[in-house]
Order: sequence, then C-alpha cells, then structure tokens
Amino acid sequence: MEDQIVRITSRLVTPFIQVYGIYVILHGHLSPGGGFSGGAIFGASLVLVALSFNLEAGVKQISHQTASILESGGALGYLLTGMAAIIIGGNYLANRSAGFPLGQAGELFSGGAILIITVFVGIKVASTIVTLFYNIIEGEE
Amino acid sequence: MEILSSIARNYYYMVAIILFVIGTFIMLTHANMIKKVIAMNIMDASVFLLFVAIGYAYGGEAPIIREGSDVVYVNPLPGALILTGIVVAVSVTAYALSLIVKIYRYYGTCDYDEICEIRSQE
Amino acid sequence: MGFADHYPALIVVVLFAAAFLSPLIYRWAEKAAAPVVITALMLALFMSSSLMITVQQSGPVFYHMGGWPPPWGIEFKVDPMRAFILLIMIGVSLWIFIYAVRDLEHELKKEVIGWYYTLYALLVGSMAGIALTNDLFNLFVLMEICAISACAIISIKEDRECLEASFKYLILSAMGTGCFLLGVAMLYMATGYLNYGLLQLELAETLTLYPRNIFAAAALFIAAFGTKAALFPLHVWLPDAHASAPSPSSAMLSGLVIKIYAFALFLIFYQVFPRELLDLIPLNEIILWLASLGVMFGSVYAMLQTDLKKMLAYSSIGQIGYIFMGIGFDHNLALVGGFYHIMVHAVTKALLFMTAGTIIYATGVRQIKDLAGIGRALPLTMLAFTIGSASMIGIPGTGGLISKWYLALSALEIGRPFFVLIILASSLLNAIYYMPIVISAFMHQEDFQFETKPVPRFMLTTMVVGMVFIVLSGFFSRPVVSMLEQAANYFF
Repeated sequence: MEDQIVRITSRLVTPFIQVYGIYVILHGHLSPGGGFSGGAIFGASLVLVALSFNLEAGVKQISHQTASILESGGALGYLLTGMAAIIIGGNYLANRSAGFPLGQAGELFSGGAILIITVFVGIKVASTIVTLFYNIIEGEE
Repeated sequence: MEILSSIARNYYYMVAIILFVIGTFIMLTHANMIKKVIAMNIMDASVFLLFVAIGYAYGGEAPIIREGSDVVYVNPLPGALILTGIVVAVSVTAYALSLIVKIYRYYGTCDYDEICEIRSQE
Repeated sequence: MGFADHYPALIVVVLFAAAFLSPLIYRWAEKAAAPVVITALMLALFMSSSLMITVQQSGPVFYHMGGWPPPWGIEFKVDPMRAFILLIMIGVSLWIFIYAVRDLEHELKKEVIGWYYTLYALLVGSMAGIALTNDLFNLFVLMEICAISACAIISIKEDRECLEASFKYLILSAMGTGCFLLGVAMLYMATGYLNYGLLQLELAETLTLYPRNIFAAAALFIAAFGTKAALFPLHVWLPDAHASAPSPSSAMLSGLVIKIYAFALFLIFYQVFPRELLDLIPLNEIILWLASLGVMFGSVYAMLQTDLKKMLAYSSIGQIGYIFMGIGFDHNLALVGGFYHIMVHAVTKALLFMTAGTIIYATGVRQIKDLAGIGRALPLTMLAFTIGSASMIGIPGTGGLISKWYLALSALEIGRPFFVLIILASSLLNAIYYMPIVISAFMHQEDFQFETKPVPRFMLTTMVVGMVFIVLSGFFSRPVVSMLEQAANYFF
C-alpha cells in the first residue's frame, strides 16, 4: 500500500502496540489476557508493518527463518518447562510441588512456572500469526 | 406461566441453544463454503456462551481476589476452559479458510454444490 | 518417584517434542528429520510396553499432571485396556512411518515433507493422549489436535480431490466437535465435574435429579463420536478422504484414527455413564443396529467401486461396524471380539493401503479392472494383498477369524442369533469384492499391461512384517485374548 498517511500512522503506532502486547503477556497471571491474546496483539503489529509498507520491510523485521525458529522454540520451551518440573522433583508441569519460586500474590514475578509458560506461549502465538500471514500472501503467486 | 417464568430466568441457555441450532443448520445446508465456516464459528461461540453462563453466580463479581471476607466470586473454571476453546476454534477457522483459498484457486468457485457437479463430471 | 512413574505424561511429551523439532531439523539437515521421528516413536513404544507390564502386575496407574489431584487437575489413567490400545497405536504408527519414509518422496512436493513429519508426530501424540486421558476437557483439546492433523495429512498433497475431501472432513469433524462440547457442557451443568472417575460417582444420583441433561449428553456424544468414527449414517466423509490422501495417510487414517474415536466412545459409555442409564434408554441397542447397518452397507457400497483405494475406504466403514457391534452387545466376550478386531483391522487395513500405495508407486494403476495379471509382476505385494483380504473375510489362520468368532459367540450367549447371520452375510459380501482382485491378479491369462518400477526394500520389508503379524495373530491368539478377557471382566 502506498498511502502516506497509513505509513506515517503505522510507523508511530507500532511501538505502542508492541509494548501493549508485551504488557498483556507479562500480566497474564494478574489480569485478563495471558499468552494467547498478548501474542496475537504482538503478531498483529508485525502484520501491520508488512501490510502498510511492502512485504520486504515486513520480512526485514522478522524473517522466515526467525519466525520458524521462534515458533518451534516457543512450543519446545513449554515442553521443557514441564520437563524441568520432572527433573526438580514433582510431576509433569508441576508448579508449587516442584519448588518453583512463588512470590507474593499480586506481584509481577509471582506464580512460578505460570509466567515462564505464558512468555513461551506468547512468543509462539506471535510467530505463528506472522508465519500464517507470510504463507497466505506469498502463496498467491 | 411456569414455562414463561423458567424461560425468563434461563434466557442465556435458551439463546445459546438457539444459536447452536442455527449454526448447525447453516453449516449443513447452505452451499457457500465461507458461510459454512462462519456457521461453525457461531456454533462454537454458542457453546462457549453456554459454558460461561453456567459459571455465573447470582450477585457475584469477577474472580480476581480483593479485600473483603464474604465476597461471592463467579466460577472461574469455565472461563479458563473457554480460553482454550476459543484458541481451538480460531485454529480450525484459520485452517478451513486457507483450504478455501486453495480450493478457490483450483475450482474457481466458492459454492460447494457447483464443486460437487464439477467433481461428478470428471 | 523414579523416572518410570512419569511415563504416562512422557509418551505424549516425547511425540510432541519430535513434532516441533522436525521442521527445524528439516530446514538444516534434511536426512536427519525422519530418524528423529523414528527415535521418538521407538521411545514411546518402549515406554508404553513398560506401562503395559506395570499395569498387568499391579493394577491401574493414575498420574496427576502438575501434582494437582482431581477435581483441580488433569489426570491420566492407565489400565489394561488403555495400555493395549496405546501399544497398538504407537506400534502400528511406527510400522507405517517406516513405509512412509520411502513412499512420500514421490507423492508430495519436496519442501513439505518436513511438515508431514510434524503432522504425523502430532497425530500419534494426540491419539496416545486420547487413550490415556481421564478428563473430558483434555479429551476435547486432544480430539481437536487429532482432527486438524488428520485433515492436514490429507490436504498436504495439494491436488484437486484431496483438498475438497479434506474440507468436507473438516466441516463434519467440526460439527462433531461442537456437539461433543455441548454434551460436556450438559454434564458439567448437572454435576460440576469433568473427571471420568468423579463423574461416574456423581452421575448415578444425578440421573434421578436431572435426567434430561444426561439423555441430551448421551445423544450428543453418539452424534459426535459417530461422525468422527464413521458410524453408519454419518460416514459420508470417509470414502473421499481416505481415497484421495497419500497412501501412508490413508493407512494411518483408516487403521488408527477412526478406531481411537470408537475407543473414546467406549470409555465414555462404560466409565462415565452409569449402568442404570441403559434401563431408561437402550443406548447399546441404537449403537448395535446402526453398526449392523454399517457392516452391511459398507460391503454393498464397496462392491460397486472401480477405484482400488475407494473400495478399501468403503470396506473400512464395514469393518468399523464390527467394532461398534462389539461395544453395543454389552457383554464381555463382545468386548474381547471388538478390541481384538481393533488390533487386527489396524494392521490389516494398513497393510492393504500399503499394498495399494506400492501398486500406485510401481505402476501408477488405480482402477481395479487394470489390475489383471499383476501378480506375476509384483508377487510379494500381491501376496500381502491376498493375506490381507483373507483376514478381512475371516478365513481361518488369520486374525480376522478370531474377532468375528468372539463376536458371534457373544451374540449367541445373549440369545440373539440374528447377529450371527449378519456377521456371516457380511463376511460373504467381503469375499465378493476382495476375491475377484486376488484371482484375476494371479490367474489371468495375459501379462500385466503397464510397466513396473522396482519397489524399494523398505516398503517390501514392512509388508512382510504385516503379513507375518496377521498370520501369527490368527494362530497364537491365546495370550492376547486371555488378557482382553481379564480386562473386559473389570467392566462387568
């Protein structure tokens, strides 16, 4: 899209969208939101860059290889967090019984494994939205 | 009068079931493939509505702990189940829409009855 | 707790980890992607065999995810029946995968083969999870993973028929999922639990308080699992989907995916719903009659087909009817027959689809009338087809006889000899459409018309393994049958 207003607006707004997405991901255990919605917001900001500029600018932000690695890495991180609980001593995906540090309820770094899992899920969802977008746009040739 | 008063009390459940039936009917009878996908979303959304309506407690408030001794909270479990359900429905919708894009490229139509005719003539 | 206590969760985790690793590995080292998945499948097979041995010795094993007991947490349960199904799923998947490594190179485009391995591992992992889980919502999530992977391994071939067939399967499967979720909502509304064990304790008294919820839930579950497992009137997606998929996908779908939904229906009807429900509504009669219709009509439709894979797909509709008959008789010998048929039919139908895939690989022939005289060009392949057909018909010496024997025995025990007639008639109908292919393959006067490529050794080896298994399961069936009898008595 070649429109000047769209380009300037998206250039101004994208950092705020990304900060908001990261905020929703990190506060998943304190307020409504969590990994899925925060990841979708973050992924939507990357798709916005690719739509308002052209596709090369979008690919420069996050290339195909990076998106693929992040996608698999997010899912593997989730599985490995569960495995870490087995190695420490509890059942699979255990939180308190495995000894993850639980802080005060209501603080940011509380909840043990929940924060780690939410961050991995957020990364995976964002990169999946970007990958889906690339596949649909580039498949039209 | 019994029927009317029980309908008035449980109108969330009635609306959910009516939406479910509408979604299923459209999904099975209408020919346009995009309408089928939209109807699938309506059907899933109606079941999520039913789940959330089950969890409501009269006079309750949002299940985030605050100060106070005898505060009635709404059941948070259906909400957590529905988050997962919404993600599942979105994934199936994304996959179905990408299939429709590919089918459109091959057959040139979005109408399922026409596709069946083309297939039966091959 | 030792490491072996975590095996129920680790089976699913290992398979999902292999699924997510394989696109990364395929991007950088192409040859290493298949061995990673094979290693994961072998690890899962080892873990499920050790679970089987543990369960036989010391009774059912419960595993709480995250250390939270039910009703707060998700529970995995392993008892003899589930361990048996788990072994079948993973063992047959490993066997089909070894065939798939060679066959996929000529069916799919090169860059999507890494994604095929991902979908395959996700499919096997989700089926293992469905066999293990003890929680209704976890069953919903795993069923959806299974449905999307199953549709995707059909449409990954990207030609005209398989895209439309995959879309039809997806829409009908989504309708089944919607009905299933509504049934779960009905049960949750009446009891407040989602765990199988706690539901079974609660539903006995809830049946008197809120009967309509339970009836609605039972009806919705039959509709949901009937659509996904191709029970008779809801089977319409199956022929197109299984016939137009790549051959390893057809083997996997026809052999395993429809069975795991029948097993999930069995678990819900025997481990969640109370026995008093059968006095109020004859649910097992409904399943029994629909299954009998499926058995007859599957064979009738299969006789009219001209394409080889479509005939095999219609035959699957008939054979899944036997498994539902085993569930519907409500007798322990019928359960033995039904579950033995799960094992035998998984191997047999996978072997038949592998044979069809090898014929298409070597000659490009798909129509039945062009198969005349092929026995002299591809002898080992057609021998595998013959033994597979013999097992489908139920000839003594193959495993297919044992399952039909036990089904007929239980039909006589509950005093309904009409179903013995149905089993015999359907065996005759099976013979009518399998035997002509075998006879014309070997005893046709002229030679085979089309030219043959040589078949890779991987594919021949897997077919030989399948043949040996079918013959062994026909002769040495006593250990498995006695284990199944012991496991079935637990439900009565």
